[in-house]
Amino acid sequence: MLEDILCGKKSLFETGASSVLRGQENRLRSVIINQGILTTNKRSEDSGVCALVYKNGVKGFASMAEYSEAAAEQVIKTATENANYLRKYAKNDKGVLPSVKPQVINSKRFIVDFEQEKIIELCKEVDAYIVKNCPKTSARAVNYREDTMEKFIYTSDACDGHVAYPRVRIMVVLKMEAKDGSTVEIFDSVNGFGNIDDNFKSLDKTYKTIDEMYKRLCDKAEGVYAEAGEKTVILDPSVAGMIAHEAIGHTVEADLVLGGSVAGPNLGKKIASDIVSIVDYAYTYQDGQAPLPVYVDDEGIPAEDAVLVKNGVLTGFMHNRESALHFGVMPQGNARGYCFSDEPLVRMRNTTVLPGKDKLEDMIASIDDGYYLLNTGNGQADLTGEFMFGITCGYEIKHGKLGRAILDTTVSGIAFDLLKTVDMLSDEVTWHSSGTCGKKQPMAVSMGGPAVKCKINIGGR
Amino acid sequence: MSDMTKIQQAADYLTGLLEEKKDIKAQFEVSEIVTTEVTSENGDFTLLRTLFDKEVGIHVIADHKPGLTKINSFEEPVLKETLEGVIASTASAGADECFDIAPKIEGKEFTRGPLEPDVDKLMTRAVELQETIAKEYPNVLVSMIIIEHVRKDSLYRNTNGTEDIVHEGHYSMFLEFAGNDGTNTSGISFSAMTIENLDTPFIELGRIRKDLAEAEQSVNPVPIEGKFEGQLIFTPECFRALMYTYMEIALSDDVIIDNSSLWRNKIGQKVAVDSFTASIKPWDERIINHEYHTNDGFRSEDYTIIENGILNSFATTLFGANKAKVDRAGNTDLCYVVEPGDTSLDDMIKNVTKGLIVGSISCGEPRTNGELAGVAKNAFYVENGEIKNAVSETMVSFNAIKILENIVSISKEVLANGDWVLPYICVDGVTISGK
Repeated sequence: MLEDILCGKKSLFETGASSVLRGQENRLRSVIINQGILTTNKRSEDSGVCALVYKNGVKGFASMAEYSEAAAEQVIKTATENANYLRKYAKNDKGVLPSVKPQVINSKRFIVDFEQEKIIELCKEVDAYIVKNCPKTSARAVNYREDTMEKFIYTSDACDGHVAYPRVRIMVVLKMEAKDGSTVEIFDSVNGFGNIDDNFKSLDKTYKTIDEMYKRLCDKAEGVYAEAGEKTVILDPSVAGMIAHEAIGHTVEADLVLGGSVAGPNLGKKIASDIVSIVDYAYTYQDGQAPLPVYVDDEGIPAEDAVLVKNGVLTGFMHNRESALHFGVMPQGNARGYCFSDEPLVRMRNTTVLPGKDKLEDMIASIDDGYYLLNTGNGQADLTGEFMFGITCGYEIKHGKLGRAILDTTVSGIAFDLLKTVDMLSDEVTWHSSGTCGKKQPMAVSMGGPAVKCKINIGGR
Repeated sequence: MSDMTKIQQAADYLTGLLEEKKDIKAQFEVSEIVTTEVTSENGDFTLLRTLFDKEVGIHVIADHKPGLTKINSFEEPVLKETLEGVIASTASAGADECFDIAPKIEGKEFTRGPLEPDVDKLMTRAVELQETIAKEYPNVLVSMIIIEHVRKDSLYRNTNGTEDIVHEGHYSMFLEFAGNDGTNTSGISFSAMTIENLDTPFIELGRIRKDLAEAEQSVNPVPIEGKFEGQLIFTPECFRALMYTYMEIALSDDVIIDNSSLWRNKIGQKVAVDSFTASIKPWDERIINHEYHTNDGFRSEDYTIIENGILNSFATTLFGANKAKVDRAGNTDLCYVVEPGDTSLDDMIKNVTKGLIVGSISCGEPRTNGELAGVAKNAFYVENGEIKNAVSETMVSFNAIKILENIVSISKEVLANGDWVLPYICVDGVTISGK
């Protein structure tokens, strides 16, 4: 755990500037067992300090790979000099950032570290389960990853805080020879907030996931290409998070709105069917803890839920302090930086489509000819609202029943068009807290959703 | 005390600790990196960053068991604790004699590029770029320009006695933009370059002017109707992504070891048309930023993956080569060089009956079977040799492995962006589907 050595340096902040001093440590614990061989056995720690100084409409930033009082003094000095230097090139003075009531906000959980041996033994156990229970696999990999961060945040005109984001996941990859001699594969993960003991004291959930994966892989080995074109589909809850994150979330990040995102002119307008609501939660969800709780962001703004879409109407964007000033609203704690040398950017936290009232079985039964899409890999979105995400597991739906498995494909659409086609939502949300969003820097995010019935373009033959 | 002195001291301390250990093979790199970076957002300069980074990466093999760690402290107690920790972490690993590091090679000191940034000139070039785009490309909205200078000083050593010292500096530029006519916005576009000096205005580098013009032409795209099989012209940037796909699904350690690569038994066999030659060439003079030694300690050498259509080499590391009993690749870099062809880009377009020019394909990561389906981005519809219009909501599907056998032509023109050198490539037999 980081020692609090930065508080006393607030006196070095320049009067009239909005300044933030941040100390941070990122830890990575990574083990990969590939074909029974430990091929990756990695531990890393990156710690340091940074300062962000906003003055007359420009920002200066400096970081140093050293967690010390001297480094803190140096980065405040350099960041302030950088802001002063850049001022002469900037056209606009955007004014004073919105202030918030100062308070100290701390996370409820911090990071507990474990020996690498425990992680390796856990992975070996999972690998042994695969060997015993998945006899037809041609290749396998077990991949444990724990990427955690801890931050001290001190500000001149907002909140101070001490926060942590501990999370872990085990990802399993299984491969099998397909009927045409090629190799098909499937991957899935079990993940959660906290540490190895919080999530993997019992491996029952992991084994259940592997059993499901193996069955689906056997089906996929006999799989067919999806038929290309616009289709009615059910997005499984584990896929629907991509709708919240890729299709909508990115388009309503205020920095991208300023960059020309399609969401800009649609604020306050109907962009989805009445049953669709999307929220970026801060630290609670339905009276419990959100999967990746964010209590205060890296600009010292207390985190609040950001309602993005309510009953089909686009209601708001996600902001940092600067974009909130531009749009004349209060920021809600969305500005985060990945490591100590990263400036905070507008990022999602726990983004989900809210559940509806339907049962998954009824949703499948309602489709005469379509697809049930179960697993996804990566996704991307565009300013135009055009998005895509990879599908790594899915089934045909014929006459209300599941049919043959399909091979890997990609689905795409225009976000606002797709959301208008949503006519059923299941009554349960599934969360994934192991997501890493890429936007200049990586960032830990969680996303979720119910099963969603909609129309989407599917790639295939 | 100079930066190099601190690096040397940390390296000497680690060397001393390793000499006390018995039967440990190890390699480490100690480095300091200073980054100066300016950002312009939506037409105004918003952020100037100065980053002082350091890094110590240590890779040990104890009793044929591997361990890897990375920290960013040169403090001796931290280095000692870290080394002890990574050695201890190998205890639970399974032993495999295939883990190894290179024998001693002749160490060298390399110096390349501008080691100190010229911040004033960098700002002058940045202002010039901003003003030129505003004046000459009025229907382009530049959401972000990032220009940076990076200096890295590093020292690599291993327990077989190799020592490399590298001092390198370079500038890089990243441009994010979209066409915007005040009402409609095109898809987002990117241009990126790595350069050694600031002699040339940024706007004249690579295909930045072409990228900006294409963004302006993409404000009102038209979806493709229906589905057909046609031709695809990959821009150099788009083909770079495909080269990365080959590394991942057909050439890397994992897929060679587990036999899932479709090219696993194809060394010496034809996998592409005769005109296709692809290499990884860190020593090509057009590559600015590259490795000097491999991840396992060999001197990096240029190598050819596919030569005149014949598969020549996998991208295997020492471990992968030992494990799969194949030859080790000449380097562990990703600086792709594909040889130019004999067709001009204009002629390439003229020869397309029905198809697309694609700037990028937004897709799920292809698996080892090579099947790829994705959204055509920054794409234009071509019919009977003429570029008709930008397209939206258009998907393309093909097999990334087999498509190399369907190459129709390779352009004479190549784009060298400092990190790779690639031509335009036209292929046939792609499923193109719209609404």
